[in-house]
Amino acid sequence: MVFLSFLRIIKFSFQDIYRNIWLSIVTITILILALFSINLLLAVRVISDTAIGAVKDKIDVSLYLKPDSTEEEIMALKSQVSNLTQVKEVSYISKAQALEFFQEKNKDNPEILQALRELGKNPLTPSLVITPKASEVAGELIEELNKIKSDLIESRNFSDHKLMLDKINGITGKVNEIGMIISLIFILITLLVVYNAVRVEIYTHREEIGIMRLVGASNSFIHMPFFLSSLIYTLIGTAVVILIFYPFLSLLQPYLETFFTGYDINVISYFNSNFIKIFGLEFLAVALINALASWMAVRKYSKV
Amino acid sequence: MRRRFMIKLLNISKIYQPDVHALRDVNLHIKPGEFISIVGQSGTGKTTMVKILTGEERATNGRVLVGGWDITNIGQREVPWLRRQIGVIYQDFKLLPKKNLRENVSFALEVCGNTPTKISSIVPQVMKIVGLEDKQGRYPREVSGGEQQRAAIARALVHRPKILLADEPTGNLDSINANEIIELLLRINRFGTTVVLVTHNREVVNRLKRRVITLDSGMIVGDQEVGKYIL
Repeated sequence: MVFLSFLRIIKFSFQDIYRNIWLSIVTITILILALFSINLLLAVRVISDTAIGAVKDKIDVSLYLKPDSTEEEIMALKSQVSNLTQVKEVSYISKAQALEFFQEKNKDNPEILQALRELGKNPLTPSLVITPKASEVAGELIEELNKIKSDLIESRNFSDHKLMLDKINGITGKVNEIGMIISLIFILITLLVVYNAVRVEIYTHREEIGIMRLVGASNSFIHMPFFLSSLIYTLIGTAVVILIFYPFLSLLQPYLETFFTGYDINVISYFNSNFIKIFGLEFLAVALINALASWMAVRKYSKV
Repeated sequence: MRRRFMIKLLNISKIYQPDVHALRDVNLHIKPGEFISIVGQSGTGKTTMVKILTGEERATNGRVLVGGWDITNIGQREVPWLRRQIGVIYQDFKLLPKKNLRENVSFALEVCGNTPTKISSIVPQVMKIVGLEDKQGRYPREVSGGEQQRAAIARALVHRPKILLADEPTGNLDSINANEIIELLLRINRFGTTVVLVTHNREVVNRLKRRVITLDSGMIVGDQEVGKYIL
């Protein structure tokens, strides 16, 4: 009998979807729009995180050394700096390399190159370019670098760096904070829209629910077809979003690659590697909201 | 052993908050196989009585027994079982618009877990009794009011109930269709089903020449074995 009831619940559920096809389409469309918006917001987060990461990667601190420093002395200092806990990487730029970079950078500026030639010697100093582990520890790193007592160091004026780092950290913190608030508001609105769509769908069935109750249908028999219908809506909605969203990402990807030249940004691979987590979680959350909305609405209309 | 009473209302009162007395100290005994009309003007408590008998409302005071079952404080989970034992028809038919007439009737059996074999054997029989064997595939919007009410009666009968409650069943029908429905109720009564007809249709009640209970302001003011509409 339980199996028979289960089969009938499935039959009634599909019959209901088919016989109220327009209402079903509207409900599924709302689910698709809601899920698409959530995924779009997620893609924007991925892009903004990459952009912030790109800016932070650019942060490095340079120690300018005296021109007459020997290689051994510089290597000893490099090793000392490398041992600092805040340091990710230290690169040594020799005088010759510094000149090479300078010439490359100013290759379109013949006046500067002419002035350099007239000088007759390499005026640039060797340097150590230090990349911090994270932009958040760059401040600490500067403090540590200031503590190093070495005659090799010609210049260690980091005040501009400190100011810039504070600004970047402040901006990224704010961006994350605002992003989080917008995401939460957006998710809340989406859930309310989905919740309401299901309630409206069931509102149109209120008479039917009352009749089911009057002819002796048990509570579970009344609830289950609606619960199953909402699960089917969620399943179709999630599947359609996956089918729409991937082509959309494929269209977006070339523009992102052009914009973030030199940086590894691939939203498609992000969605691929988190496929189950993203779409599974979305399915579960929407199914839960649908189930809750249908349970509450059916309960309300079956009180006869 | 044959029960002496099919329905027993003992000192029933129903008060809707804050202070509306729908029924006041009602005592009513209905025997098995009786055909009884409950009459009265609008707002006299007729429908409240039906709602108490179907478990839709609880009496504020008193006891209610249906077929020997004390339903005074019936729980929500037991209500479906009660409704499978009482057939109810309403003025507005209450048919599912997206199901055809046969599906509407089958539905009452399906929700109770009856097998497809049993359903396909009972439904055509009941459809024949109400005279709808040729219109089983039609949807409610495609048939007349009288035919919709017949389908509602068929749905009420598929459980083979011992009691059939008819709440203003002719209220939305013209006189010809109304007479046909009453004839059908009398036929069902002849099979042994207790019929409780709630109506304010004077003509119908006077023609029946059966027991009539008259309600006024929530109280029973008349109980005649072969009664007439006296209000």
